[in-house]
Amino acid sequence: MMQTKSKVAALLAIALSVSCACALAEEDFMDWLLTFQRQKNVKPVTDKLYQEECGGCHFAYQPGLLPAKSWEVLLNAKALRKHFGVNAELDEDTLKFIHDYAVENAADKSWYKRSRKIAVATEDGPTPLRITELRYISRKHQVIPEKMIKGNKGVKSLSFCDKCHTQAEQGVYDADTVNIPNYPNWDGWFNK
Amino acid sequence: MEWTFRVANIAAGICLAVFSGLVHADDAAANLALPTAASFYAKDFQSLKSHGFDPQPVGSRPYLLATNEDDALLGGPGVTTASSGTGFKPPWMSGRKAHQYLGLSTVALAGLTMLAAPDDAEGASQTAPRQTSGTTHTRLARATAAMAVATVMTGLIYHWDDIHWEDPFTDPDKMHARLAAAGALMMLYAVNKSAHSSVPTSHSGVAELGAAAMLVAIKLTW
Repeated sequence: MMQTKSKVAALLAIALSVSCACALAEEDFMDWLLTFQRQKNVKPVTDKLYQEECGGCHFAYQPGLLPAKSWEVLLNAKALRKHFGVNAELDEDTLKFIHDYAVENAADKSWYKRSRKIAVATEDGPTPLRITELRYISRKHQVIPEKMIKGNKGVKSLSFCDKCHTQAEQGVYDADTVNIPNYPNWDGWFNK
Repeated sequence: MEWTFRVANIAAGICLAVFSGLVHADDAAANLALPTAASFYAKDFQSLKSHGFDPQPVGSRPYLLATNEDDALLGGPGVTTASSGTGFKPPWMSGRKAHQYLGLSTVALAGLTMLAAPDDAEGASQTAPRQTSGTTHTRLARATAAMAVATVMTGLIYHWDDIHWEDPFTDPDKMHARLAAAGALMMLYAVNKSAHSSVPTSHSGVAELGAAAMLVAIKLTW
């Protein structure tokens, strides 16, 4: 009986400590801790303007795929004049809005698992400017033969996330949701 | 003794069912050969080498990284990409999903085991020898331990490429693996400690800590 009481007291103490820690922690952490919603992937794009402006030319990459320092470099007037070889200039207000949205939802500000992986892997070292250059992303794709990407007319480049990741728009990049065009049912090293 | 035999059979049955399910789900026999070198990443390594592929990934640009080729990115306004995944349905069961369900089941079983624990006062008044098998608590405990081992094994098989030495200590997948493995070991230790003791022995703390470690591990990658 005594042991049970001690256990209850210990559990209460732990619950109190956790609550205090949560109260002290940032709001996002509380949201992450208390939600049962899956946050395994990347936070989907929720802003219409970001979706329209970025998605007008290419897949609207979720801000959680790069750290804030990358978005700072990529999303400024000078950089957008030569955005990977293309002039992607935006008016001042739109640019500020998109810049702020990307920075606020960047990998290092997110509690989504893949974003956290990207954030901890890019804390040190040079600022990554391309998602495909991230060590985590490149490693995950190294198992895929070249013929399935560059040599595949249905894909052409790793930049087209949504060609294979069927739920990329929802921020879901699970292996189970991958369907490589012209190579159905391919599942990495298990198909060797 | 009879119950020990039955529990062992049930555990073996669960493991066999899990592996059978995984094989069925993947529509191919699982190749259990673990990677031994970076070359493993590439399916056709020799042909990649001839294309100038550098197996050193850190700080370099592996050959098939998108280089934002002109034809890939110079779409221009209005030229958006369209997903080819229309009509694609993810498999209802896969090795990764089996790992997920096993982990959740382990935590659920651990909770049931805790609830089925015999009352301390009742145990103290007993003069009969301590029961180390045959009770609901012991059966559930053994099933939990077996499930924990199956969870760790499926994690190693299906998520081996999520864990790398060069990743920082705080990498979510690394923390998940460490905590889950530690949790499973603690549960195994608790079951083993209790099963080999003829007198009441304190093992619940270790078992509960193990379950908590698994729960935190799940949350980290949920």
